[in-house]
Amino acid sequence: MSGSYLARRFGSALFTIALIILINFVLFRALPGSPERVILRGTPNVTPAVLAAARERWGLNDPVFPDQFVAFVGATVSGDLGYSFIARGQTVSGVLAQRIWPTVILFGLGEFVAIVLGLALGAYSGWRRGGPIDVVGNGLSLILYSTPYFLLGMALLLVFATGLRWFPTFGMLTVGAVYPDIWARLADFGAHLVLPLATVGLGLVGQYAIVMRSSIVETLSEDYVTTARGMGLREGRILRHHALPNALLPTVSLVAINLGYVVAGAITVEIVFNWPGLGTLTVEALTARDYPVLQGVFLLLSVSVVLANLLADLIYGVLDPRVRT
Amino acid sequence: MRPSIRARLAAAAATIGLILAGLSTSLAPVAAADPLILKAGTDQDLQVLNPWNSVVVADFEVFTLNYDLLVNFGQDLEPVPGFAESWEQDGLTWTFHIRPGMLWSDGEPATSADVVYTYQLILDAVDTEYGCLGQCYLDGYLLNAGVTSVTAPDPETVVIETEFENTLLLQNYVPILPEHIWSEHSLEEIGNHEGVEPFLNEAPVVGTGPYQAVEFEAGNFVRMAKNPNYWGEELAADEVIIQHFASTDTMAQALKTGELDYVRGVLADQFSDLADEPDIVTVEGVANGYTELSFNTGGNSEGYAGSTAALADVAFRDALGYAIDQEALVEATLGGYGEPGTTIIPPFHTRWHVEPDNPRTFDLAEADRRLTAAGYALNADGRRLDKSGAPITLRLTWPDSEEENATNAQFIVEWFDELGITVDAAVTEEGALIDAVTGPPNGPADYDIYMWGWVGDPDPTSLLNFFRSEEIGYSSDSFYSNPHYDELFLEQRAESDEATRKGILAEMQNLVYDEAPYHILYYDAELHAYRTDKFAGWTNQPSVGGTPLFGYGSYGYTQLTSVATEPTAEPSGAAPSAGATPAPSGSGSGTGAGDSTPLIIGAAALVAIIVVGLLVMRRRGPRTEEE
Repeated sequence: MSGSYLARRFGSALFTIALIILINFVLFRALPGSPERVILRGTPNVTPAVLAAARERWGLNDPVFPDQFVAFVGATVSGDLGYSFIARGQTVSGVLAQRIWPTVILFGLGEFVAIVLGLALGAYSGWRRGGPIDVVGNGLSLILYSTPYFLLGMALLLVFATGLRWFPTFGMLTVGAVYPDIWARLADFGAHLVLPLATVGLGLVGQYAIVMRSSIVETLSEDYVTTARGMGLREGRILRHHALPNALLPTVSLVAINLGYVVAGAITVEIVFNWPGLGTLTVEALTARDYPVLQGVFLLLSVSVVLANLLADLIYGVLDPRVRT
Repeated sequence: MRPSIRARLAAAAATIGLILAGLSTSLAPVAAADPLILKAGTDQDLQVLNPWNSVVVADFEVFTLNYDLLVNFGQDLEPVPGFAESWEQDGLTWTFHIRPGMLWSDGEPATSADVVYTYQLILDAVDTEYGCLGQCYLDGYLLNAGVTSVTAPDPETVVIETEFENTLLLQNYVPILPEHIWSEHSLEEIGNHEGVEPFLNEAPVVGTGPYQAVEFEAGNFVRMAKNPNYWGEELAADEVIIQHFASTDTMAQALKTGELDYVRGVLADQFSDLADEPDIVTVEGVANGYTELSFNTGGNSEGYAGSTAALADVAFRDALGYAIDQEALVEATLGGYGEPGTTIIPPFHTRWHVEPDNPRTFDLAEADRRLTAAGYALNADGRRLDKSGAPITLRLTWPDSEEENATNAQFIVEWFDELGITVDAAVTEEGALIDAVTGPPNGPADYDIYMWGWVGDPDPTSLLNFFRSEEIGYSSDSFYSNPHYDELFLEQRAESDEATRKGILAEMQNLVYDEAPYHILYYDAELHAYRTDKFAGWTNQPSVGGTPLFGYGSYGYTQLTSVATEPTAEPSGAAPSAGATPAPSGSGSGTGAGDSTPLIIGAAALVAIIVVGLLVMRRRGPRTEEE
């Protein structure tokens, strides 16, 4: 991979992140309602003196450009995202740190399950196009792809949690549980994980299967596959050594793009299962107008998508020499 | 080589399966020593443990479990012993007697010095430039009671002097904090003011209340353990967990499975659904508050940005009161739960609420007649004209945080249109709305009519406050001003005789009803539900229209008893209940007794799916070779 390719990719990622910080700054300052009223809203004894003091303390009397912007960029770069409006007294980075791991675990595992299952299903049904597995598998993929997470999640919850009582309905661990050892804790975690994980996995599997299937179908009509057949290679060998590696290429970008959402998660899955991740945090922050937390969430999510895309570019560069120019 | 990779994967999957299977066996023994845990779900976010920064009901619930109030609330909100065991009033002087030998949960003695410290925090904060403490919700309890000084002549006595004679001190929500912990922090740290390291009052919290927070995750849950030094009667629950839910659907399901014992804030359809469940009791409480349609009574006069002078005319506002069918709104917006609204003290305050002497009924013809009589004639196009001859178009709005008002708006638009009044209805972002409805000199008073709600205190004073003239520019959003009302407000606040005070409050309620700065649309309902198979002794507070928990202070929690724990056969395996059926990991988690089996099945199924997926190719391989 050439140095200039790397430099260009990193440069564009950095530029995007800088743009995100700028948008983040402008967006939250364009919101209606003055900050000191929002933060002190509903409080019964707020006097003009209190409001004025608040404006002064928060630097709202300084000009937006450059003073407020410079302060904002400086703080953001040094990792200071300010204090939550709602979890009063807690820092935004503290709040985010608490919520990021549950989401990463849930969606990381969900992506993994979906990639493995989806690619296998897609490859097989593409290879045996028109066969029974293809008809059923492709139909199922389309249905799962088009089912919203919350619908799927609610259905699983009603059947397996409320109906059969196999799994707990909410949370990541049983609050207040005392575990004799790490295994009991893991088991409790596992029980809580099954339904949300199944929802994420099933929700994503369709995309992978569909992309992989069409990719395989396309590859199988390539000349080199015909050549391989003409050379008398066994079907399994053709698929594994000739068709699959080439067909995987489009799915790499899909995987990379979806990896960006490992952090973003799917808000609705987390809401349905009350999973204490970034998704529920985002909704809470939105409804409570916790602007600093929202700002932090936006930054985190957009940066993670940019980094995932950078990763995709780099992997692509390794896999496909043609893009490395 | 490839098969060996697959073989390794398969082996790894099998190992995971085995581990999971092994785990499950370790679940059962835990259950035996389980503490009895009360689990309550709430639609509200849990935000902070520092009482001065508490805003929402859920946080107030938590701090009144952590701490005692000087005087707690009884079942009907009457004063009962709290931090103080007894008290007497002599004119402007109150004497409170602190329970001898009382200890904080950490074993330190709890004395009158703690009361002086806590109350003095507020008095000091009021004297600062900031003017109040933290979110400024608790200062009012001492200020409205006219507290001027707090002293402790001895460790068991507190003497409080007030500016005027009143009994509001007995209805105050200020938690008594341990001086030995809080005095290490400055006023600014406690109040979460900018520029200092804020004092979060992190768990484990030290208090004198029945339960203390031992684990807290903002936005998620709080776990509270029984106070070993609690002065009151033996408590049934060893622990109390309050869990926030982003989806009330999930919360309602968790009550059904027994993962929760109590839920607050379910929606109308979920409420009806829960009512049909075995072992679940639903409670329709009345809210201590209401949703109102507020008028910009400043109209378009100097300093007010209403669109027409008609808004300032009592006759105009009164007539529109006949064009609002409150019953229809309760049905459509609240799903039938709630009561049509009348006066500004909700029926929740059974001792103080009165129905209006001259009630309005829904009658569009009457509204039309009154408007015409008041000088608001129709033009040739059937549009209503104000006294300057301009057609009346009212802007109607509501905060985006209260979406249900959109339904109310649809009805109001239609009703007012029948009267020839055009209504432009649009939602407003909450922050912008607060700015717009602030009166002069601090705000533009830029609206015509809008809908929002208020929630009250145990005493109605706070619900009466924002109709005072001096609140214009602060909490008054209708900009109502009536010197007689202002006098009555001070009079009722200083009145110790209940019958006399009720007379004053009745006059105030009628005054506001007749002059109609607000039309109270409805009194909201509090929809709660609880399970009866783990705890008994659920007691509504107040007894009429109240709910067992999320009421006023720790009362409801102290009344609970444990349901007898002899094991009963549950053929259907329904409802993992209390101590009867030991639940894994100790806490009635929905997996229920011995439910590690489904866990294994689920995990195994998942593993199997992955393995099958991996092996699909291999199975296909040999077969094609045979072809």
